[in-house]
Amino acid sequence: MERAMEQLNVQLSRLTRSLRRARTVELPEDNETAVYTLMPMVMADQHRSVSELLLNSKFDVNYAFGRVKRSLLHIAANCGSVECLILLLKRGANPNYQDISGCTPLHLAARNGQKKCMGRLLEYNADVNICNNEGLTAIHWLAVNGRTELLHDLVQHVTNVDVEDAMGQTALHVACQNGHKTTVLCLLDSGADINRPNVSGATPLYFACSHGQRDTAQILLSRAAKYLPDRNGVTPLDLCVQGGYGETCEILIQHHNRLFQTLIQMTQNDDLKESMLRQVLEHVSQQSDSQYQRTLTSLAEVATTNGHKLLSLSSSFEAQMKSLLRIVRIFCHVFRLGPSSPNNGNDMGYNGNKTPRSQVFKPMELLWHSLDEWLVLISSELDRNGRNPSSASSPSSEIASLLLKQREASDGAASTTSSSPADADSDAVDPPVVMETTEAYGDGEDVISMTSNRLSAVIQAFYMCCSCQMPPGMTSPRFIEFVCKHDEVLKCFVTRNPKIIFNHFHFLLECPELMSRFMFIIKGQPFKERCEWFYEHLLAGRPDNEMVHRPVNENDILLIHRDSVFRSSCEMVSKSTNEKLKQGIAVRFHGEEGMGQGVVREWFDVLSNEIINPDYGLFTQSADGTTFQPNSNSSVNPDHLNYFSFAGQVLGLALYHRQLVNIYFTRSFYKHILGIPVNYQDVASIDPEYAKNLQWILDNDISDLGLELTFSVETDVFGAMEEVPLKPGGTGILVTQDNKAEYVQLVTELRMTRAIQPQINAFLQGFHTYIPPSLIQLFDEYELELLLSGLPEIDVQDWKKNTEYTSGYDLQEPVVQWFWNVVESLTQEDRVLLLQFVTGSSRVPHGGFAYLMGGSGLQKFTIAAVPYTSNLLPTSSTCINMLKLPEYPSQEVLKDRLLVACHCGSYGYTMA
Amino acid sequence: MSETYDFLFKFLVIGSAGAGKSCLLHQFIESKFKQDSNHTIGVEFGSRVVSVAGKTVKLQIWDTAGQERFRSVTRSYYRGAAGALLVYDITSRETYNALTNWLTDARTLASPNIIIILCGNKKDLDADREVTFLEASRFAQENELMFLETSALTGENVEEGFLKCARTILNKIDSGELDPERMGSGIQYGDASLRQLRQPRGAPAHIKQQCNC
Repeated sequence: MERAMEQLNVQLSRLTRSLRRARTVELPEDNETAVYTLMPMVMADQHRSVSELLLNSKFDVNYAFGRVKRSLLHIAANCGSVECLILLLKRGANPNYQDISGCTPLHLAARNGQKKCMGRLLEYNADVNICNNEGLTAIHWLAVNGRTELLHDLVQHVTNVDVEDAMGQTALHVACQNGHKTTVLCLLDSGADINRPNVSGATPLYFACSHGQRDTAQILLSRAAKYLPDRNGVTPLDLCVQGGYGETCEILIQHHNRLFQTLIQMTQNDDLKESMLRQVLEHVSQQSDSQYQRTLTSLAEVATTNGHKLLSLSSSFEAQMKSLLRIVRIFCHVFRLGPSSPNNGNDMGYNGNKTPRSQVFKPMELLWHSLDEWLVLISSELDRNGRNPSSASSPSSEIASLLLKQREASDGAASTTSSSPADADSDAVDPPVVMETTEAYGDGEDVISMTSNRLSAVIQAFYMCCSCQMPPGMTSPRFIEFVCKHDEVLKCFVTRNPKIIFNHFHFLLECPELMSRFMFIIKGQPFKERCEWFYEHLLAGRPDNEMVHRPVNENDILLIHRDSVFRSSCEMVSKSTNEKLKQGIAVRFHGEEGMGQGVVREWFDVLSNEIINPDYGLFTQSADGTTFQPNSNSSVNPDHLNYFSFAGQVLGLALYHRQLVNIYFTRSFYKHILGIPVNYQDVASIDPEYAKNLQWILDNDISDLGLELTFSVETDVFGAMEEVPLKPGGTGILVTQDNKAEYVQLVTELRMTRAIQPQINAFLQGFHTYIPPSLIQLFDEYELELLLSGLPEIDVQDWKKNTEYTSGYDLQEPVVQWFWNVVESLTQEDRVLLLQFVTGSSRVPHGGFAYLMGGSGLQKFTIAAVPYTSNLLPTSSTCINMLKLPEYPSQEVLKDRLLVACHCGSYGYTMA
Repeated sequence: MSETYDFLFKFLVIGSAGAGKSCLLHQFIESKFKQDSNHTIGVEFGSRVVSVAGKTVKLQIWDTAGQERFRSVTRSYYRGAAGALLVYDITSRETYNALTNWLTDARTLASPNIIIILCGNKKDLDADREVTFLEASRFAQENELMFLETSALTGENVEEGFLKCARTILNKIDSGELDPERMGSGIQYGDASLRQLRQPRGAPAHIKQQCNC
């Protein structure tokens, strides 16, 4: 009873004490529960409570708990609970107890920078040399986090500052890598080995460079750290360049001047990222004016050597070409930055400056000189080939050289005399003739085909160097002169290998004057390749083309009202800047959430429909009802020219961003966009009847018909008929058989161009803000339509159903069967080309092939038989939608010929 | 990573067509005779790292076409060459007679300090010899050239020709007659001196290194 009372009292008093202190007052019996009671107190360093609880308990202070098996001493050291730490130590906690990862309380104190705890642990003889499972000691931990102050305390106890972790890394490695300056100094002062390699041979300097730690690298170098590669031969400089650490590179070069050349040589290394190299060289060049000169001069030298190697026929074309162009790109980039000191900013050497900026190009003159000599050489080869292709000497010497080759091949292995191909002749003929015979051996054709790619790449490099000295948008006169001088050779290159244009002759796109020289070759290239070239250059130099995704700025969103798409779009576009719109378009319709590519697509679609909305009077429908062209009377709207400019902008933007619009223009308007002159056939799309009349004039002798036409036309100008001369004094000039062609051309231009000239000009002004005229020239009017409006869907079944046959063909005819088999097998693009070839339009009318229009009303697709002769191509009469299909002997031949016709036809070569 | 050397020398191989310039270079780089050798078009390129007088030297060698029609192209490669092999064919007096012209070209277009070694090639064809050793060595002496007779076929003296030239240049650098830092000297420092230790230094001359830089 009494015992029960006593127990109750103890419990009661414990309860009141516990309640008053808001915690338990006695430790539970078992260690596991007890430790979780104590842990929060230790963490909060409530040493009195801990002390009180521990006082009478049997708790094992070294009890390890939790997943990582730490003791309370670990907890105290980790949290910096210094009083608890002392208490625990006094109660016999083991200062060297290791948790599951091998960490002692000292490691944790070091890691977290618990200075006092660390001090106490050391007093209680904590072992500073214990490694955790990764081999890290307390000193490593201090170095990782740069705790220099604690390090000062610790090093006195450390027997070996160069203690290595499992990877052979010392504290110095770690401190260098993390850029802790004072820690590095402290370690070095304590005798750390400055050149200590880790297991892979990496030194502290290597570590500093691998992370671009300029300051620690500086300290190491100023204390004469050696410049050593790791076991794989990777040097600290390699690491700096890989990481693009310009500042660290600069420090390395300051201490090891020869690394400068190594750095320059690294531009030839294909494995290194160009952007990183550029970044590093940019920084190095900006240190001083002399450094700028030196960098560029050295780059120019490397470029020259590379260029010469590229011209060496046994070198790898791909590798040397890439290398040369990369070096030249970097060179031009650094050159454009200008020297670091602003007072010399744009000094090209005219202000008495001893080392003019342009001086840096000098080493490359050697390469340009070689280039020039090469082209001169090829030009003389061309001349020679051209001059005497049939002369007697040429074939005979060719035969001679062939014989020589054969002879060599046959006895080359056996006889020792074969080491010189010339020696057979040399004793027989007179000295000058020796040259002649040997020259014929490597014949001109060969030299050209072997060198054209290489020379073209050097030309590309030459252009880059020329243009980086010019203000943007201007072509260097030196380069223009160069192209003019070697015009014949360059044309010969591209005629033989048109790919050269796309790969190397980018200068053409920037210089219309030069472009026109090569236009005919370019136009002959596949549409796809021209498209790629077009976009490559359209988008080149876009500020952020390396960034994948840019967050959209709320202010840059075009907010469009659905009920006034045209006006609100016009307003938004004019408020934005061209540069922003080029970077990307973001559209949101008023009151709607949607954003993104889908909405942009819809906007272009809706907006293009609005542009041709008759209410605005900007565009009129042509005779076929599906195509549009500017309305000559659009001036009823006083703002019409601004709207045309806007329409041009929208079309330009759509093309720029590869969005399709829902408008089809007349052939002649596409020609206007391209700057191609129109002809009388284009009139057909707006006035087919009149076009027929023009055709009739051309087809028939008009001498004795008494038409009494003059070079003038009557036009309705605001209700009054007025006679407009087609050329000065035209009203007095009669149209005759001799000048009728001129008349047709002038009258066509009047109808098609002069009447809507202001509208065209305004449209083009808007269009050209996004699409430079030089680029759009790459296409013809058919291709432009595809680019702007995309490929239409073609339903072959519907097509077949609405086709008629004439002059001997019917659906059962094998040739006709083959034709449809071929059409089925064609790609969508080829089907469109076929449709364009026959109907002159890439589109299927609304409602399907049943509604195909001809020159005068509905005119179904018709296939007519033509007797077959070898190699005969199909032809077409677009005004009556007729395909004249020869009776081919097989489906293969039919397909082949048909494709040839379509492809050539769509390039505008053989339009019937 | 990038290869190691103390110096880089720019070399030329010049001489009339058919003297065996390309075969010499091929023998030097590949240690093989080039069987089906065609006329060189323009200028060819080869390189090899050699060990000379305790230094690692990278030879960057430009092998020029001997044909007259390439003359103006090949001339544009002369500038900034540190050394040249002037090659003639001992079985062809014609190639020997042309030496004066080649020499003038080299002396005027390349650096005036250019080290030239005269190589009488096709030593193996002694039976067809048209130019005597004595005559050629007199010519070499008058024109302050080093002289060797070589055979690209057997490889005799080929290595020696290149190395002799390189050695002379190194001596001139040591004596201060040539300054590698001067632009257009045809000589460049490598960074080998910065890399020693650990790596067995550019093992002997028999390791052929063909590189793309």
